[in-house]
Amino acid sequence: MSSSPRRVPWVVKYRPKRIAEVVNQDEAKSKFVSWLKSWPNVKKKAALLYGPPGCGKTSLVEAAANEFGYDVLEMNASDFRRASDIERIAMRASRASTLFGKRGRIILLDEVDGISGREDVGGLEAVLRLVRNTNNPVVMTANDPWDPALRPLRGNAELIEFKRLSKRDVVRVLRRICEAENIICEDDALNYIAEKSEGDLRSAINDLEALAIGFRRVTLDVAKTLLRPRDREHNPFETLRNMFSAKYCWQAKISLSQSQLDYEQAMLWIHENLPNQYTDVEDLWRAYEALSRADVYLGRIVRSGDWDLLAYAVDLMTAGVAMAAQNNPRDKYRWTKYSFPQKLLLMARTRETRAVRDDLASIIASHLHVSTTTAKNDVIPLLKIIFTLNPKYAAKLALGLKLSEKMIEFLAGPNKTLVMRYLEELKRKQSEVARKAEEHYVPRKESGENAEEGSKVKHRATRKKGGGLLSYIGKSKQ
Amino acid sequence: MSSAIEEILWAEKYRPRSLKDMVNQEEIVKRLMKFVEEKNMPHLLFAGPPGTGKTTAALALSYDLYGEEWRKYVLELNASDERGIGVIRTKVKEFSRSKLPGHVPFKIVLLDEADNMTADAQQALRRLMEMYADNTRFILIANYPSKIIEPIQSRCAVFRFTPLRKEDVIARLKWICEQEKCTYDEEALEVIYEIGGGDLRRAINILQAAAALGHITISTVYKVVGLAHPREVREIIKLALNGKFVEARERLRNLMVNYGLSGTDVLKQMHREIFSADLPLPEEMRVIIADYIGEIQFRIVEGADDEIQLSALLARLALLGRRYNIKL
Repeated sequence: MSSSPRRVPWVVKYRPKRIAEVVNQDEAKSKFVSWLKSWPNVKKKAALLYGPPGCGKTSLVEAAANEFGYDVLEMNASDFRRASDIERIAMRASRASTLFGKRGRIILLDEVDGISGREDVGGLEAVLRLVRNTNNPVVMTANDPWDPALRPLRGNAELIEFKRLSKRDVVRVLRRICEAENIICEDDALNYIAEKSEGDLRSAINDLEALAIGFRRVTLDVAKTLLRPRDREHNPFETLRNMFSAKYCWQAKISLSQSQLDYEQAMLWIHENLPNQYTDVEDLWRAYEALSRADVYLGRIVRSGDWDLLAYAVDLMTAGVAMAAQNNPRDKYRWTKYSFPQKLLLMARTRETRAVRDDLASIIASHLHVSTTTAKNDVIPLLKIIFTLNPKYAAKLALGLKLSEKMIEFLAGPNKTLVMRYLEELKRKQSEVARKAEEHYVPRKESGENAEEGSKVKHRATRKKGGGLLSYIGKSKQ
Repeated sequence: MSSAIEEILWAEKYRPRSLKDMVNQEEIVKRLMKFVEEKNMPHLLFAGPPGTGKTTAALALSYDLYGEEWRKYVLELNASDERGIGVIRTKVKEFSRSKLPGHVPFKIVLLDEADNMTADAQQALRRLMEMYADNTRFILIANYPSKIIEPIQSRCAVFRFTPLRKEDVIARLKWICEQEKCTYDEEALEVIYEIGGGDLRRAINILQAAAALGHITISTVYKVVGLAHPREVREIIKLALNGKFVEARERLRNLMVNYGLSGTDVLKQMHREIFSADLPLPEEMRVIIADYIGEIQFRIVEGADDEIQLSALLARLALLGRRYNIKL
């Protein structure tokens, strides 16, 4: 092959043909293979393979397709922008048989994190439609599955994680290629290339190829002079690891500048994971002291518009936090399972409920002439009690305050159906009473409370304005 | 309880509509009635603790001045719900253009919780009051008159509302119970008074919830209050002092997101808790914590993030808990 006239890049040439050739990733392989084999009898018709670049996501898809006899229809980020393109691909894929009479087609959407939520709404929707209605397995790949824009896709796909490859894995592959290509490469040089790649096998192979062309012999010196450290953005987990374990301030600071996270997201991630990393309360306090000061600077930036202050915020949130582990310095290096900022999840999950609560608060506020805060703090908790403990009475209140079904659900929780049933009864009664009142219409009297229930309801509006209520009060004062 | 088909909140249902129906704050009511009689009044500032009749007096005054149509001539604003003085200015400007009632030479802008406005916003408000003085009167309502800037105070007739007397609160509760035909233990009403202090609105709200549970007893009252306001903030403080930072933060988050409490709300409650006698802390520690709570509140007011600042406070509590060897 090496003598073939058209030079194929090594990354293509040595792409795995069989699943077994995909380096490492055993967990991901077995998960993916069993999903693909059971298709279409699977819970989710799409799979989202995620992990750092060059760890074998696309390779696995191609190897599996090759082994099980699928065609791969590939699209990448730039195609996602147009809904029509996505639909065309989907159409092409769904045509019953292929030229080669193979078993089926895998639709591969590479690098879906290239879809931006705001600009590519149409594209994202088309992808979602495809994922939901597809007649073919849809496989997506992404580096950062936590991108907020991907949330709808995450929910509709089997999530399969790929791990960053170890240096040893990378070295092993490089060595095999060297043998196949007849290249002499020093072990130190291989190690150096692998180390620089930070687990990105694709970039390691590209580096090796670049060094080997024309040299045939790769030494550490050559590698060191020719290879520049790659600028790669770290995912949140790597960012946190680098930041906490920084020995010097500059390392901590650089962890943020090399991160996919912007400073606001980083703030949330650090905040979430601080207590997991630092076990000593004094260290934790020092770290929070720094983080909260950084937050103060961010607030000042918003108020003053002075972006020069950002530097100090960054210093405090990175170096300030990293240098806080003084009682238990080893905590800095402790392996910690980092988690996604819960606040974002919680806010997303409760968005609708909070909107209902706020609407309810403004209804109460206008009835009682209080602020919505007072309504939330003082009145809603009491209403909740009434709605959970006395659904019959709750229904009357729901009618009087004109609460929506959502509000009733918010207040009554599991009792909602009960309250709704009583409410229906009340409404029936009310219209019956109104009908009767119309039948024997008598001119309205001033004393609301002596009248039969029917006319009381009919004249509620007037009573509210004066009459009935005033007479209540007048009576009490006698 | 009443057999009507619809029900509303008792605090609304039994709010006196006219000044002559008000049973408290006699001196104030007398002077307000004079304003109605003469169809003339200065700007007013009603100050006093919550639930003492400030809003009721303002609404009753409006009702007596304008009659059934009063809503047309009163612009009701709540300073803590309006987004800034700019919004208030626009609304007042628009309102001042609407036509005057025939028989009264002015309209009323009712601004509740005015003490929640910043000093700057109050300065702007003062200019508004001057600008529209020929056809508009302002009634400002505040819990703390000291938080109203001097120039506004000097432009207003200030009325100080005092907390309601125990017997007045209980009499009112009893009367409501009679109207609603609900039965009660005498002591239960006393407990409601004690919980609410002189805050009649709060007392009536509690009464309604307790009545929904049946015969009103001390235990139903406590049940209602306990369920409505679980001592979540105290629990959070305790967890933090005991070094259980992660749990404390979790519950804090929950409190803020699910109950919709703002950072400042939580801080105010914390401030109350740390001085309460049944939280056994070394006295000097209470002061240290108070100082820090103040610092955090200042930061939040300055525009910092609620959750991060409060978490820093919890971390500080955890540290103090260890230093003072607190076990709660």
